[in-house]
Amino acid sequence: MTDVMAATDITKSFGSDQVLRGISMSLKKGETKVLLGPSGSGKSTFLRCINRLTLPDSGRVTLSGVEVTTDNETNMRRRIGFVFQEFNLFMHLTALDNVRVSLVKIKKMPKAEATAKARAVLEKVGLAQKEKSYPAELSGGQQQRVSIARALAMDPELILFDEPTSALDPELTQEVVQVMADLSAEGMTMLVVSHEMGFARAAADELVFMENGVVVETGPPEKLFTAPEAERTRSFLRLLSDGEPAQGPVPTSGARDG
Amino acid sequence: MLSPITASNIWFLIKGLGVALEILAALLTIGFLVGGALAMVQVYAPRKWYIQGPIRVFDRIVRGIPILLLLFTFYFGLSDVLNISPMLASIVALGIRSSAYQAQIFRSALLSVPPGQLSAAKAMGFTRPHAIWTIAIPLAFRYALGPWTNEFSSELKATSLVYVIGVSELTNRASTIISNAGGYILLVFAVTALLYFVVNKTGNSLLYGLEARLRFPGFERAN
Repeated sequence: MTDVMAATDITKSFGSDQVLRGISMSLKKGETKVLLGPSGSGKSTFLRCINRLTLPDSGRVTLSGVEVTTDNETNMRRRIGFVFQEFNLFMHLTALDNVRVSLVKIKKMPKAEATAKARAVLEKVGLAQKEKSYPAELSGGQQQRVSIARALAMDPELILFDEPTSALDPELTQEVVQVMADLSAEGMTMLVVSHEMGFARAAADELVFMENGVVVETGPPEKLFTAPEAERTRSFLRLLSDGEPAQGPVPTSGARDG
Repeated sequence: MLSPITASNIWFLIKGLGVALEILAALLTIGFLVGGALAMVQVYAPRKWYIQGPIRVFDRIVRGIPILLLLFTFYFGLSDVLNISPMLASIVALGIRSSAYQAQIFRSALLSVPPGQLSAAKAMGFTRPHAIWTIAIPLAFRYALGPWTNEFSSELKATSLVYVIGVSELTNRASTIISNAGGYILLVFAVTALLYFVVNKTGNSLLYGLEARLRFPGFERAN
């Protein structure tokens, strides 16, 4: 079976700073991988190279076997969802419009059909009752959930999450992590850059530890947490695990209240 | 002295107002279209010196010389080559000037759009032009309205200068009435000022009304 996403030897420098020194990674359908590492390790840069928000210097990215290039990047992006750390909801549009705009403007869906679909995904993230609210009227956690709904509306093959909870107040992260865990359990293919150890342990099929632009170690969460091969992996994870709850989110089904 | 308050005088003034409004509408339209285009190039086109340089030079020159000079240069300069009416020369000269000012307004407005908005649109698979049209421009338009109100008022007043190339507009006609009446200076100018005031106030009210209708929660905070 073809990988949903395969990245090979991605390099990227910003000026004299070489941020990515040859990263390779792949995801099969339904896999959830979490990318961990210290600040500056290149995790977000790598994520952004996958959909060419940032242009890699060299290397290759394929989506379902087809290479992502400058010529097809716009079309490829329509099949890849992206959730930003700063949410980036369209400020002048309601939650419903934010979710609906891609369907109407890109997929050219009739308005009624698009509205129904948008409402369904908002329901899925537990925010059906907030459809008329503008982003500024929503909490950070709610905005991020709308952002996830917006990505889901396009029925993506893969969703990239760039530190989805890092800009949230601690008490708001759980609602977002829960949505992500449910998505993962339902079989969405996800690549997540995150420091949420609970999510990593509970939902990830594999963890990828990056440092200084290279992949240091990969493996199932339990292996990396209990018996990592590299000392740097161990010390980084210990750093993050201090103060983290031992139990991660348990995937549930059905809608939650916003 | 004969009282200048006659029906024909008042009608004479009103027609002058009509001329001013005609010039105003035309120059603002030119300014909007050309200024808008210039702003788009400045913000979204490649940063090549041969693209951005000429625009910057245009801006410095046009905004750097007095209106009267611009009007003279256009009319007396062009009429050597073209058979151009004073009215048309006024509209083109003031239109070009307004485009430089409006380009500044729109450039600033476009730059006020948080970059994350376009990043999100790009990540969703909007082409760049479509993203700019669907996301950046609606936001920029809202940011531009406030400063544009100022431009409206400013250009309304600028129309009073076109008399120097022979266009008989409102202020000029007021002067004519005064010299014909041999006095009543303050009265006539007060009435004239009132006419400008009414136009200005009406324009501003419409623009503020539009701004209020387009406002969304979080707009002020986003600036």
